[in-house]
Amino acid sequence: MKADIDKCIACKRCFAYCPMGRIQIFHRHEKIPGRIFIEIDQDACTDCGMCLRANICPVNALYQEVADWPREIRGILSNPLIEFKGSQVPGRGTEEMKTNDVKGSFLPGEVGVGVELGRPGVGAYFRDVEIVAMALMGANIGYKLADENPVTHFMSDKTTGKLRDEVLGEKATSAIIEGKCKLEKLPEALKALQGAAEKVDTVFTVEVITKVTPEGAVPIKAVLEKAGFWYSINSKNNLGLGLPAFDFYGS
Amino acid sequence: MTHSLHRRGDYESLKEDFVVLGCPATGVNKVGSAPKTQNFLSICYKHGPVNLGDMKTGNIYNTTMDDILASVTDGTIVQCTFDNRDKIVDLMKELKERRPGISVIISGVTDVVQQCMYEADLGPIHSLEYSLGTWGKTERLPGYAVLKLLTMCGHAMIAADLVGKMVRDVKRGRRTIRSCVVELAQCCTCGNFNLTRGEKIFQEVLSTYMVRSLY
Repeated sequence: MKADIDKCIACKRCFAYCPMGRIQIFHRHEKIPGRIFIEIDQDACTDCGMCLRANICPVNALYQEVADWPREIRGILSNPLIEFKGSQVPGRGTEEMKTNDVKGSFLPGEVGVGVELGRPGVGAYFRDVEIVAMALMGANIGYKLADENPVTHFMSDKTTGKLRDEVLGEKATSAIIEGKCKLEKLPEALKALQGAAEKVDTVFTVEVITKVTPEGAVPIKAVLEKAGFWYSINSKNNLGLGLPAFDFYGS
Repeated sequence: MTHSLHRRGDYESLKEDFVVLGCPATGVNKVGSAPKTQNFLSICYKHGPVNLGDMKTGNIYNTTMDDILASVTDGTIVQCTFDNRDKIVDLMKELKERRPGISVIISGVTDVVQQCMYEADLGPIHSLEYSLGTWGKTERLPGYAVLKLLTMCGHAMIAADLVGKMVRDVKRGRRTIRSCVVELAQCCTCGNFNLTRGEKIFQEVLSTYMVRSLY
């Protein structure tokens, strides 16, 4: 996002709407006497478009340029109105467990492990995304990345989690690494993430997905409790109403 | 996407907070899903959600229900937010009866959602996703009360500074809490922001949040 220096009057109304916080710099206009304008720090801005959508600028100074690679990935991952063509899903990730009832993406004995970096309000550089991805892939637990996930598309080596060099300096409001491994490998995956948490300069949320048994048992619960990991009282729950239903148990 | 998963709060704060998603599956039932999604949306609307929307079109505080319905295409994911457990049970009963065909996901307190499903005769949850919390440089996050508001937008489009500005405006008598939460709901285009819960949290923030000079 940029502010047109000939229109901006530095009224500061857009400041509060920026999810990345205070990323604007004041300048004195060289040609218009007495005029102060703002410059949006292009390194800190994630092109999420929130300030523009808020429609708060009294002089319509804000504008979004069409970005070239690799900067374009900021908008793809940060602006919820932009759909990543690789996943064909609006937003930053994949359908993951939302369609597990018809796709069978997470089978009994498997666990989905997702990591979303940068949310809320901190943002994440892809060099930090790489640290987490390489920690998961380097744990040798058979972690299988979700092919259609945008971050997977930005990898130069999907066996190690290495991202393409040109994206490492880019920043997104948040970026998600998605994949799955065997249930018994979950504690190792989480230990790898604990190690990565000490190295990154941002925050990340961790989520785990499981198929619930027909009797209502949640297989990951015991694993998490035994390994000593906290999990939230709230969760995302697939009701199993999608059609045609995936046959999980060969019935 | 995990945008309705990481809502922060204790049981009391979350027990009447439900995000219902309708999601067609790419490669399975996405082609031709638009009428099914519209049907799902209409059923949800009938049960009185506090918010409703689609990421690309906006929510009912940005646009109209007619616009949201008309903008549904194959693959559109829609969200409806409810602030009442009884409504969720009634909604589940109708979804079971009329079964739109797309996947239905409900975010909420696990035990409450499961109990609602039993009451609606839907049986156990099919698949679930837990949040294991926020790791890393958590000292960079805003305070917990503000975090409860921010995490109601899963795409993190609500700025912490905006909450601070609103608190200042309310304390100075310039705005009402209701107008503030409506604007917060507008920032979250998907329709995940629960305005009823938002008003309660805002009230808490108001009494504890010290507003410094913002800029």
